[in-house]
Amino acid sequence: MKTIKLIQLFTMLVALVVLSACVQDDDFSVPELNTGVNTIDGQLVAISSIASQAVQEGGPITFEGTNQYIEGYVISSDEAGNFFEEFIIQDSPENPTASIRVLVDVNPLFTSYEFGRKVFIKLDRLTAGDANGILTLSLLDTNNAAIKIPPSLQDEIIVRSTEVATIVPLEITISDFSESLENLYVRLVDMQFIKEEVVDASLTFAAEELDQFDGERTLLSCVTNQTAIFSTSTFADFKALSLPTGRGTIDGILTRNFFGDVFNIVVNDPSTIVFDQTDRCDPVEIDCGVASSAGATVLFEDFFETQNTNQPISGNGWTNFQQEGTQAWEAFSSTGQNASLGISARVGSFMSGDASTISWLITPQINLDAQGGETLQFMTSNSFSDGSTLELLFSSDWDGVPANIPSATWDAIPAGIIVDDADFFGDWIDSGIVDLSCIEGSGYIGFRYIGSGAADFDGTFELDEIQINAQ
Amino acid sequence: MKYIIFKLLLVFAMLPVIAQTSVKGTVIDRITSEKLTEVTVVLEGSNLTTQTDAAGAFVLTQNVPVGDQILTISKNGYVTRRFPVVINEGRTLDLGEVTLDVDVETEQRLNGLISLSDNDLNGEDDGIGGLNVSGLLSAGRDTFLSAAAFDWSATFFRPRGLDNANGKVLINGIEMNKQFNGRPQWGNWGGLNDAQRNREFTPGLSANEYSFGGLGGTTNIIMRASQYRKGGRVSYAAANRSYQGRIMGSYSSGLRADGWAFTILASRRFGNEGFVEGTLYDANSIFAAVEKKINDKHSLNVTSFFTPNRRGRSTALTQEIFNLKGRQYNPFWGYQDGEKRNTRIREIEEPVFLLNHYWTVSDKTSINTNIGYQTGTIKNSRIDNNGTTLIESNGQQFFAGGARNPSPDYYQLLPSFFLQDANPTPGDFQNAFLAQQEFVNDGQFDWGRLYESNATLRSQGRNALYAVQNDVIEDSQLSANIILNTALTDHITINANVSYRNLSSENYAEISDLLGATGYLDIDSFTEAESGDASGDISTDNAQSDVRNPNRIVGEGDRYKYNYEIDADVVSGFAQAQFKYNKVDFYLGGTITQTNYQRNGLFENGNFQNVDGSVGSFGNSEKLDFSTGGVKAGFTYKITGRHLVDVNAGYYTNAPTIRNSFVNARQNNEIVEGLESEQIQSIDVSYIFRSPIVKGRLTGYYTGFEKGTDIGFYFTEDLGGLGDNGDAFVQEVLTNVDRRNMGIELGLEAQILPTLKLKASASVGQYTYTNNPNLYLRSDDFEGALRFGDGTTNLNDVHVAGGPEKAFQLGFEYRDPNFWNIGVTTNFFSNAYIDVSNLARSANFLTDSDGLPINDFDQGVARDLLKQQQFNDYFLVNIVGGKSWRVNDYFLGFFATINNVLDEEYVTGGFEQSRNATFRNVREDKARENGPVFGPRFFFGNGTTYYVNFYVRF
Repeated sequence: MKTIKLIQLFTMLVALVVLSACVQDDDFSVPELNTGVNTIDGQLVAISSIASQAVQEGGPITFEGTNQYIEGYVISSDEAGNFFEEFIIQDSPENPTASIRVLVDVNPLFTSYEFGRKVFIKLDRLTAGDANGILTLSLLDTNNAAIKIPPSLQDEIIVRSTEVATIVPLEITISDFSESLENLYVRLVDMQFIKEEVVDASLTFAAEELDQFDGERTLLSCVTNQTAIFSTSTFADFKALSLPTGRGTIDGILTRNFFGDVFNIVVNDPSTIVFDQTDRCDPVEIDCGVASSAGATVLFEDFFETQNTNQPISGNGWTNFQQEGTQAWEAFSSTGQNASLGISARVGSFMSGDASTISWLITPQINLDAQGGETLQFMTSNSFSDGSTLELLFSSDWDGVPANIPSATWDAIPAGIIVDDADFFGDWIDSGIVDLSCIEGSGYIGFRYIGSGAADFDGTFELDEIQINAQ
Repeated sequence: MKYIIFKLLLVFAMLPVIAQTSVKGTVIDRITSEKLTEVTVVLEGSNLTTQTDAAGAFVLTQNVPVGDQILTISKNGYVTRRFPVVINEGRTLDLGEVTLDVDVETEQRLNGLISLSDNDLNGEDDGIGGLNVSGLLSAGRDTFLSAAAFDWSATFFRPRGLDNANGKVLINGIEMNKQFNGRPQWGNWGGLNDAQRNREFTPGLSANEYSFGGLGGTTNIIMRASQYRKGGRVSYAAANRSYQGRIMGSYSSGLRADGWAFTILASRRFGNEGFVEGTLYDANSIFAAVEKKINDKHSLNVTSFFTPNRRGRSTALTQEIFNLKGRQYNPFWGYQDGEKRNTRIREIEEPVFLLNHYWTVSDKTSINTNIGYQTGTIKNSRIDNNGTTLIESNGQQFFAGGARNPSPDYYQLLPSFFLQDANPTPGDFQNAFLAQQEFVNDGQFDWGRLYESNATLRSQGRNALYAVQNDVIEDSQLSANIILNTALTDHITINANVSYRNLSSENYAEISDLLGATGYLDIDSFTEAESGDASGDISTDNAQSDVRNPNRIVGEGDRYKYNYEIDADVVSGFAQAQFKYNKVDFYLGGTITQTNYQRNGLFENGNFQNVDGSVGSFGNSEKLDFSTGGVKAGFTYKITGRHLVDVNAGYYTNAPTIRNSFVNARQNNEIVEGLESEQIQSIDVSYIFRSPIVKGRLTGYYTGFEKGTDIGFYFTEDLGGLGDNGDAFVQEVLTNVDRRNMGIELGLEAQILPTLKLKASASVGQYTYTNNPNLYLRSDDFEGALRFGDGTTNLNDVHVAGGPEKAFQLGFEYRDPNFWNIGVTTNFFSNAYIDVSNLARSANFLTDSDGLPINDFDQGVARDLLKQQQFNDYFLVNIVGGKSWRVNDYFLGFFATINNVLDEEYVTGGFEQSRNATFRNVREDKARENGPVFGPRFFFGNGTTYYVNFYVRF
C-alpha cells in the first residue's frame, strides 16, 4: 500500500521535473537573416559628383545634415587579407566611371560586403577626400587624419542592398592608367610578370626578405612592352605563393601605392590572374655578359659635346626616330643638382600631350666581325622616370630605313645597366663594360624610350658618353 | 531548561543499580521521537566510545573515569550535543532519553554550498585554481572549518591555501579525483544532496581508514543503500546565485527485514541565469542504490548515478569592463531568437557505477572490495572564428579567410584602445565615446553577424568562417580497490588498501554548430605560410590538423583540430597502524604508487610531423613512468580531557598530473623537459581546548612543496629576441617550482546559553614561492624551447594566488526551542593577491626585440611595474535562518540564507595578462592615462544573493 503511494508520488515528481522549469535549449536553429534592403531614405548622389566636388573644393568635403547617400558595388575583398579594414565601391557593375574607397574599423568586411554586393552609404558625418592619392570616405579628425568608421556606426552608415551584381572588369591597357580609372575593377590582357622575377628567379607574391608591408612586382604588357607595378600585402594569405610564370589576363583594382605616387595593380586573390599561356613574350636577349676591360680601339663614340642644345640629336650616324608621339631625343646642358655631363642627350614625354610616346636613338651600323673584344659603355640618368622605360636593344636585321624600325627584330642586351626609377635623379649611372663580342655579323645598338603624356608615364631619361670599343 | 532535566536525571542516577561504573541512555530524534541508531557517544578525553544500537540505546561500561566529564553525542545530520556529567565510582549514570535536533542549518547550507563549488568549476581554466570545499562539506562540527565552508568559500578562501587537488574525494571508498588535473569533478554528483548526507571527513593527513589521503583532507561520501534513513523527502529551492530553481525528491527504504535496501533520487536544477548574466543552468540528476545484506558477514551494494548538466560560463573582467558594465556582466552571451545564448557552455555527462562488497570477517576485521566504472564526456564550447576556404590558383593552394575575435569585449572595441596614445586627438575621443556607448548599450555577443557572415560565404561557395567548437574529453575509467580494517588488539588497528585504476581518455575538438554553413576546412589558419619551392605544397602541409587526411571539410559532430588518447594506469598500496591509549593516540602510515601515462596521437599535426629526430604527433609517445610514495605519522596527546595537543606530519611525493606532463598534448607527443614528481612535506600542530561552555582549536601549519610543475597557455605579443615578430601562442612550462604555505588557524565557540552560541574564527597564512622556478616556452611559431637569461623566472617570495590569506569571522547562532533558528556572521578578508605573469618576471622582461638588453631599463621603475597587486580588503555579512513544523507524519520546513547582505563589491581573484611582457611595453601600458589596454582581469564576487529551500520529509 505504502509502496504504491510512493510510486505514485515518485511518478508525480518525475513528471514535475520533466515538465517544470524549462531552460532554453541549445538547439538554436539558423535564424532568418537580414539579406539587405532595396531602397533607403535620402537623396542619392553619384560617386562621380563627390569626386568632382572634392576637386572643386580643393580639399576634403564633409557632409552634415545633408541626408544624402551614395550607392555602389563592392569590388574589393579582404577575404585573402590583401585589403584590410577598407573596401572599394564603383558606381556600376559594368563600364564604371567613378569609385571611392571606404575605411571601416572592422575585420573581416567581406562577410558583409562581398564582391559584387551593392551597398548604400549614408554620407552624413563622413568626409570625402584624397588619402594617399585615392578618393576616400571616412570620418575626419581635427588634424585632418582619416578615422575609420567605427564598428558602432558600421550598420548605421553602411546599408546592404539585396543586390549582388556580377562585376564585369573594364578592359584597359597600361597606357590608359589615369586618375579617372583609379579604383576601378579593370582587366589587362596579354600580360606577364617580367623575366627577372619568374624566369631568372622564382619570386613569391610578397614573402621575400625585402618585402616590407607590400611586395612590389612588375607586370609587362606583351602588346605594348609597358610595365606596371603589381602590389601585394605581406599580410595576404597568398603572399607565399610563387608568381605565375605564364602569360594571360589579369583582373584587379587599379590603385596607388602606399605613398600615393605610383599606380599599382592589386588583386583580391590570385585566382583572377589567368596566365595560362606558356609562351612568354620575353624579348630575345643577347647576353655576352660583362667584360673586364674595354679595348683601345674606338669603333664608335659620342659624348654629344658637339650637339646643339635644345635641338634633336643629329649627325654622327645617329637615327633619331619617333615611332609614336612627338618627343625626339634632344641635346641639353644643365648645371646644379640635376647636372648634365657637359652636353648630354635626353628624352621624355612630360607635358607632351602624347597618348603614347615611343622614341628611338640608334647608332650607325657596327661591324662586330672585323675585330675582337667589342664592348659598349654609356651613362644614364633620369628625372622622375615614373612608369616610363628606357631599353638597350640590338638589331641585326634592320635595313637602316627609319620607317622599318618597328618591324625589325630588336633583342635586349640585359648586361647594360640602365638607371632605375629608385636611383637619385642627380646621379649618372655607369652601364658597366657591356661585352658584345659574342655577336656575329653587323648590327645597330638602339635606345628605346616608352612613355606617354600621362602624369605617371611622363618620365625623362638622360644618356651620355657612349663608346663602342674593340681590341 | 534542558539543564534542569539533567540535574534531575543526575539525582536519580545517584541510586546504585549495579556495582559497576557505567553511563547509559537512549537517543531519540526530538521531533519524531524516532530512536536513533549508530549515534556516536564519546566520553571526551578518554578512549571510551560506543554507538547506539537498533533501539537507540548505548552503554559505556569499561574503565569509565569518575568525576566531572563531558559526554559528546553526535550523529551525521544532527546537532552534536555535549553534556557535562558527574560520574561516581561504582554507579550507573542513566541519562534516560537524550534528544538530538536535526541539524537543519548544516544540512541545508550544504545544499546551498554545492552551487558554490559548481561556480568554482566555472573558473577552473580561467586562471584561478579550484576551491577546496570538498572536505569542508561535512565540517559542521569544527568551528573553523564550518566558517571556511559556509562563509568563506564564496570568496574563494582556501584553507591553508591549498588547491582542490589536495583534497581527496571518495565515494564508497573509491577515489573520484580526476587523473587529468587531480581535482574532483563536482558536477559528476551535483544535485544528489539528499543522497550525500553521509560523509566522513578526515582533516589533513590525519589517519583515515580508506587511503593515504591528501593535505586538504579526505572525504568519503557514503552512498550505500543500507546507510540511508528510511523515508522520503521532497524539496524545492529557489535562488539567484547559480541556478534559479531546484526540485528534488528521494526515497529510501532503509534496511528491510528481507535484507534488501534501496534508495532512489531524482532532481532537476534549472535557471536561465544566475547572479552573472547569461549563465544558464540545466541539470538533471538521478541516483539509485540497491543493497542486499546476504547475511551477517556479507553485504553487496550497487550504486549508480547520472547527473547530466549544462552550464553557461562567465569570465574574468578588466577594471575598465567592470567600470562600464558591472560585476554581473558576461561577454559570453548574446541574443538569438530573443533568448540569451551563451557561447561557452560546459556540458558534463559522466555516469558512475559502483559495486561494493562489505565483508565482516570477524568482529575485529572487515574487508571492503569496490569496483567503479565511469564513462562519458565533458564538453566545453567556444567560438571558432578561423574558418577558411582552400583556393587554388596557377596550380598552387592557399587558405583565405579567418576573422577577428568576435567577442564583444575584444580589446579593440573598448574605449581604452582608442585612447591609448599619449595625446589622444578629438577623433580618438569621439571613437572612444562611440565605443563606450556601444559597449554600455549593447556589449553582447552578436550571433546575427556570425550567421550573416556564414550565409554570405555560403552563397559564394565558401566554407564556414565561424563555428561553435566543442572541446571534448571522453573518459572511461575503471577503478578497483580492496580495503582492509582489522583491530589487532583493543589498542591497535591496522588499515590497508590496494587499488588500481585505468583511465582511457580521448580528447578532441568537434564541430558543434556550423552556424548555417555547409562545412569547415580543418586547417590551422595561424600557421604562417612558408615561402619556398614553386610547388607551394609546403605551406599547405604545415597548416594541416592531420596531414594524413589533408584539407578535410568537416561537418557538425566531426572531430577536427586535434584528436588524441591518453592512457593512464595507477597502482597503489597503503598501510597504516593506529594506536589508541589513555593518554595518547598515534598512527603511522605509508604508501607507494606506480603511475604510467602515454599519449597516442590520432592526428598527425602539420607542425609536428613524424619525421626523424622529432617526437612527432602521430602514434604513441614515450611512456611516462613515476614511482612515488610517502610516509605520515601523528599523535594526539591528552593533557587532560580539556586540553589536547594534536600533531600530524608527512612527507610524500606526487606524480605530475596528465595536464602537467605533456607540453601541448593537443598538438604533439612532447614531454615536459625536466619533469619530476612533486615533493611535499607537511606538519601541523594543534592545541584543542574543550570546556562545557567553550571549545576551541588553535593550529599552526607548515607545508613545503618542491619540484612542482605547471603549464599555462596564452597569446603574447611581446617575446624578446625574436625580431619584429614577438607574437606567439605559447605553452609556458614552469618546472622546479618550490612553494611554502604556512600559517595559523583559530576556531572558538561559546555556548553561552543553551540556545545561543557565539563563534569566532581566524585564518592567517602566507603562501609564497620559495625559489625561482625554471621557465621555458614552446610554440609552433618558433623552433625549440625558448628560454630567457638563466632560464628561470623571479618568483621567489611572490605570493601564490588563490583567495585571501587572512580571514576573520565573528558570529552567533540562535536556535529557538520552537524549531526555528537564525545565525549571523560578519567576515573580514584581506591579503588576496593577483596571479602574476611568469613571463614578465623572467629575463624576457629586459630583453629587446634584437635579443640584447633593453637600454633604458630602470631597476626602480621595473620594481614598481612588477609589484604584485594586493586586492582590497572587504567585509561580508551573511544571514541564515530556518523553521520546521510537524504535521501528522510529515515534517515541513524551510531554510534561507542571504549572502553579502551589505552588497559589498569585491574582487575574489585575478590574473595579469602576459600579452605585454617586456619592460617598455608594460611601462607604456600601465602609464596610459585612460587605462591599460591589456590590464589584469579580475573575478568579482557576487552581490547580495539569496537561497531558500522548502522541504517535506516523511
